[in-house]
Amino acid sequence: MTTRAAPTEIAIHAPDAQRMGFFTDTTVCIGCKACEVACKQWNDLPADGSRFGRGSSYDHTGSLNASTWRHVRFVEIAEPTPQAREDAVQRLEAGGGGRVPDIPATGGGSGSGAGDLDLVAIASQRAAPPGAVDVAAAVAAMDEWVFMSDVCKHCTNAGCLDACPTGALIRTEFETVVLQADVCNGCGYCVPACPFGVVARDPDDGRAAKCTLCYDRLQDGLEPACAKSCPTDSIQFGPYDELVDLAARRVGELHARGMPDAYLYGASDDPDQELAGGLGAFFLLTQPPERYGLPAQADSPVQENVLPATTAAYGAALLAAAGAAAAFLGAARRSAGHGPLRFARRRAIRSWQR
Amino acid sequence: MSEHDAHDATPALGTHGGPAGWQRAHPDAPVALQRNRWQDAAWSFLYKDDTRYAPAPADMEAVAQASRRMRAGEPGAVHGPVINAPVWTWEVPLYFWFGGVATGAWFVSVACDLAGDHRSAAIARRVSLVAVAPSPVLLIADLGRPGRFLNMLRIFKPRSPMNLGAWALVGFSGLAAAAVGADLLGRPRAARAIGGSNVVVGSYLGSYTGVLLATTAVPLWARSRLFLGPIFVCTAAATGAAATRLTLVAAGLPHGHPTRTALGTIETGAMAGELILSSLNERRLGRAGLSLEHGTPGRLFRAAKWGVRIGLGLRLLRAPLGPRAHDVASLCYLGAGLAFRYAWVGAGQVSARDDETVARMARGAVTFDDRLTGGPRGRRLASIARAPRGAGRLAARYPELVRRASLRAERLLGMSGTVAGRRGTGAPPTHR
Repeated sequence: MTTRAAPTEIAIHAPDAQRMGFFTDTTVCIGCKACEVACKQWNDLPADGSRFGRGSSYDHTGSLNASTWRHVRFVEIAEPTPQAREDAVQRLEAGGGGRVPDIPATGGGSGSGAGDLDLVAIASQRAAPPGAVDVAAAVAAMDEWVFMSDVCKHCTNAGCLDACPTGALIRTEFETVVLQADVCNGCGYCVPACPFGVVARDPDDGRAAKCTLCYDRLQDGLEPACAKSCPTDSIQFGPYDELVDLAARRVGELHARGMPDAYLYGASDDPDQELAGGLGAFFLLTQPPERYGLPAQADSPVQENVLPATTAAYGAALLAAAGAAAAFLGAARRSAGHGPLRFARRRAIRSWQR
Repeated sequence: MSEHDAHDATPALGTHGGPAGWQRAHPDAPVALQRNRWQDAAWSFLYKDDTRYAPAPADMEAVAQASRRMRAGEPGAVHGPVINAPVWTWEVPLYFWFGGVATGAWFVSVACDLAGDHRSAAIARRVSLVAVAPSPVLLIADLGRPGRFLNMLRIFKPRSPMNLGAWALVGFSGLAAAAVGADLLGRPRAARAIGGSNVVVGSYLGSYTGVLLATTAVPLWARSRLFLGPIFVCTAAATGAAATRLTLVAAGLPHGHPTRTALGTIETGAMAGELILSSLNERRLGRAGLSLEHGTPGRLFRAAKWGVRIGLGLRLLRAPLGPRAHDVASLCYLGAGLAFRYAWVGAGQVSARDDETVARMARGAVTFDDRLTGGPRGRRLASIARAPRGAGRLAARYPELVRRASLRAERLLGMSGTVAGRRGTGAPPTHR
């Protein structure tokens, strides 16, 4: 299961160290942003200013950037999809597959609109035997609001690490990707080389910055600040292989409980199909990745493109050099040959060469 | 003694209240309250028996299938931003242009030598050196921490086009200066030999800028990966030939001289190739190519294309218009090359903000032929600890020496930044 990085990387090696990672389970995230605060406190990062109304969202801390290394994204889907609404209503009207009893407020002829689910009424039905209400269907018909604590993915094939020209970005003995702030000269190449939009350059400071997976804490045997602070264990930290196993179990459990859309983002797939070769910080999601601002598939753009692009570019350059030589030799031969301009050209050549 | 006094106030690290309290009490002292192997992470509400958080071993195939299903097909609503836009400013496209002119002029100088016109070759070498001179300045000015520019040469990293490009710039400038110096010292054969070998470095300098853009997550650049390099090489050859041609004309190269004819051919061929490659690329880019049409980059792109067309037209009509028309065409090419560079870099910034295209590219749905392929995964091996020995050990000290020199240079230049040392992530505090 463990995927390892290419040996040509600049890496720190330690005999006892193993790959450590984050597993972020979005189904238990409550959007409290404690991880953001803990991250800023431990890493001494400045506040970005709390502001409501960024893109008409309740998310008041913006996005991952040079001074926000953990960010709880609010995925606000104001309306359920028409399909989800229709499905839920049909299931309720049809008796919910034999599980939902007659709920007066949900379109059983009581006069309310089919889409107006009354959760109070649903809850009142709890007098009936527990489990009689299909809560999943009721929730599916409501507005959806999901939280996701986003962070650097610590990719196996890390685009930023491949791009970095100074060796400021390195792979640690925990197979995480860390930026050495005293080496970075702010060239900005890692910023577009990250397929997840994580690395950013601080406009005041000039250097790039990103999550270190609390490298300093790990070296001292402490878990990262965000995982430590998470009140619901939405962020879990541990040895990578153990985390993947736990996460897969959690997905199986959610599938069994009627959430077939739960899936792992960045782990569990075939190594060849995996995002960036496997993410050191992976996620349990319930929506398509784009809802969270994540790409559905990604790899290190450098590893993906550098060989074909360099071959095409360098080949074209050599062709251009050869073409220039051919143009000159052709012109020289023509001027030496017969033709109406022959004598004029010869005079011109003589006057230039002296 | 009160309960408060009985509280254990031993600090987590170092000596309580002492100077440099962040230091360990003794080397390898454990952190207070630390549990080995992150045992504190294993405690959880959720791990308790009665919560059914993750009880049974999972069916890995079903888990993998769920992941595949949710990441396949057409993307739904995209809540961006997905990637960060490049932070490069006006210096970078200008550097691309100067680097291109230098490369093109160098190609011309070598071709001149081959054709036997050594006087023109010497002038072309000087044009190239003058063009490459502002490049390091521009490159340094674009850095977030210009005082640390030396860190680019801290390591040799073939995997990173920017690192190789920095080395190529250094190598090219050095060899170009050596060749011009040999010219000035009256050693034409040495100049020719150096000039010939510099083609190897110059070919990279003139083409890696396209690779640099192609190796990013920006859809427009990444999906043009096979075209960007050749397009940039065409621009480089045309602008280099145009700059050399104008200089030679000013130096008195007579009309009808084969060098002048050849330079005209190179300009025309390279710019025509540029137009053709651009059109082909735009046609296959599909959605990702939209960012080449809108806003300032779009206007620059159109202006550049018209510059090329006007130049080609003037060259076709040079017989009735006279030799001056061809000089105007050369100027058109130089301007068009500059506009192309700004258009490509600017359009990449637009493209990075086009969340829909980024999402579609990730699902392999932007171009019809450029499907996402796996990385070179065969090369991945288990990392093993390797301690450098002998000469390798000396070489391993080089990056550290450069790093220290960079920090010192930054301090001397007073460019340590406004908030240096603000982060607690390893930067030593620097004082103005």
